[in-house]
Amino acid sequence: MNEKEFAEKLKPWLDRTAAGIGEMQATKLKAARLRALDAYREPVRLLGLVPVAATTAQTLRYTVVQRTLLWLPLVALLGTLAWQSAQQQPDIGDLDAQLLTQELPPDAFLDKDFRSWLDGSRG
Amino acid sequence: MARRLARLTGLLLVALGLAAAAQSPEQLRLPQTPWYRLSPEDQRILAPVAPEWDRMPGYQQQRLMSSARRYPSLQPIQKERFQQRIREWAAMTPEQRREARETYRGLRRLPPEKQHELRERWLERHQRGEAPRR
Repeated sequence: MNEKEFAEKLKPWLDRTAAGIGEMQATKLKAARLRALDAYREPVRLLGLVPVAATTAQTLRYTVVQRTLLWLPLVALLGTLAWQSAQQQPDIGDLDAQLLTQELPPDAFLDKDFRSWLDGSRG
Repeated sequence: MARRLARLTGLLLVALGLAAAAQSPEQLRLPQTPWYRLSPEDQRILAPVAPEWDRMPGYQQQRLMSSARRYPSLQPIQKERFQQRIREWAAMTPEQRREARETYRGLRRLPPEKQHELRERWLERHQRGEAPRR
């Protein structure tokens, strides 16, 4: 017996039972059916390949977003620190060499007047 | 949960380690390099600081060696300045060197014409014999 034949045999039984249901119960059943239809979602294909229930997909998406948001500040901090560290370490010898070889002597960079001129030029 | 906490703690420790490395290289305990271990080329370039070399902390030696590595690519006038200034530079306190680097970085961030203007202003004053104010 296939699905269609089974449905045809079942329908008269259901019709007969439905006729005996009171108005209150019918309303409750209708409301339950509407709720079920409302909650129903078409299955989703993950990456276009694996079919999964829509609710599972929603949970997965929520978990991924939640985790990403949780780790994002830490990853950003680590990235910034790694970048800073990489910038500072090789740069320092270069910077010292430049400082020692450019036009002004290192003394100039400790001169308060020079610093105040510099601050004035920035503003 | 416990494993996640452990992982988070580990990552935080790495972050703190990186922060320490990035923010206070002076405090890193780099081993000292004795003068006799330097290559003849480095010894020649760093000769002005030879008398103080073995008393310098490891990080300062590393920086001077790192600067000395740039020496061969310098112009003759820059080589002359390097030789003249390296001793004065090595005699500064770490705080003074840090301040000088900060100010130099600030100068480099200005437009070239502003940089030139400030250099000229300082040199003119220096030529008039006015001493720098510390």
